[in-house]
Amino acid sequence: MTITDACVCPYPAGDSSIRRMALEARELGFDRLVAVGVPSGEYSGLPVIEGVLISGGSAKDIAARVKRASTAGALVVVQAGENRFNRAVLGMKGVHVLTGIHAADRHAFDHVTAKMAADRRIALDISLAPLIRQRGAARQKALNRYLDILMLSRKFGFPLTLSTHARSVLEMRSVREVSALASLIGFDVADVEKALGSVDTLLAPQSSVKVIS
Amino acid sequence: MTVRPPTLRAKRRYVLARIFPSGYGPDQKDLYFAVFEAVTSLWGDSLASLIQPAVVAAGNGYAIVRCLRGMERELGIALSTVTSCSGQPVTLRSITTSGTIDSLRSRIHAVQEEAKHAEMRECTFDRRDCTVAFCEGDKVDVIEKGFKNTARFYLTTEDLEER
Repeated sequence: MTITDACVCPYPAGDSSIRRMALEARELGFDRLVAVGVPSGEYSGLPVIEGVLISGGSAKDIAARVKRASTAGALVVVQAGENRFNRAVLGMKGVHVLTGIHAADRHAFDHVTAKMAADRRIALDISLAPLIRQRGAARQKALNRYLDILMLSRKFGFPLTLSTHARSVLEMRSVREVSALASLIGFDVADVEKALGSVDTLLAPQSSVKVIS
Repeated sequence: MTVRPPTLRAKRRYVLARIFPSGYGPDQKDLYFAVFEAVTSLWGDSLASLIQPAVVAAGNGYAIVRCLRGMERELGIALSTVTSCSGQPVTLRSITTSGTIDSLRSRIHAVQEEAKHAEMRECTFDRRDCTVAFCEGDKVDVIEKGFKNTARFYLTTEDLEER
């Protein structure tokens, strides 16, 4: 299993270079990073996968951008919106992860979208940024939303990813800290291991069983 | 007031945490307020009263935070939500936990050895004039020069263009 932080945003989006983030991630116990806006490769001895974060616009715009972004090896992450938008995104080919569900409407992700995500093997991203950076009602809302997502994931079986959405090395957390923060929303050790290692299965999905007579 | 015998005293644990960015030594009182705010906002007043967080020492690159025995996990999670101290972006990474401050001393020396300041020198990063603020191995923290923009960038030696 390759322990992966499913989303970091290095310079110019943040104040840390990808090499520095990779160096820190290695010390913090990660085996790999998904970095937005950085070509895939090895930085400071750590494999980095290119992440394409798509947000804003209509479902039609998103479909066009997903098509353009589906380069070899890149992880395509789409910002969640309202329920109808999410259903449209979950039906698109080439989408790997739906993120930002904590900021979306309460009904944005229901049992129908959960089943679609499970069928199409599209992961939901659990961003730890709101748990770390936000306080009060905003954090309570995020905790509540994530508890619901975990319950749906256990029922329908769609994959989850864990990410820090760090824009700086100061916002990165160690695997132990990520695990401890995830325990706030009911993740046990097995759930954390599965979520940290799920990027492999998203990039190389297992093909369905074919019966050859 | 008589001092309680050791068997009647509350059992405490001491958490040694490394402070980032390297080279930043916050005031102990400011750090206490940051830790207390993080504990209270995450766990609420009732659990914060059971954790009893206190910053017993803070120096260049390290802090020792005290809590009641059995509350180390709660304190550790709260420490990972500390993002600023008196307006300065900061992060605390717990290194080890012990029952006495004395046993943490050797680890403090190791932390302080790592947190050494670099000689001030000038460099360029992405066509911006910067001054090196901290250097540890391949890690380099630079501060952009300017009257208004004094942003800090976290880089490696490979990212810098020497002048």
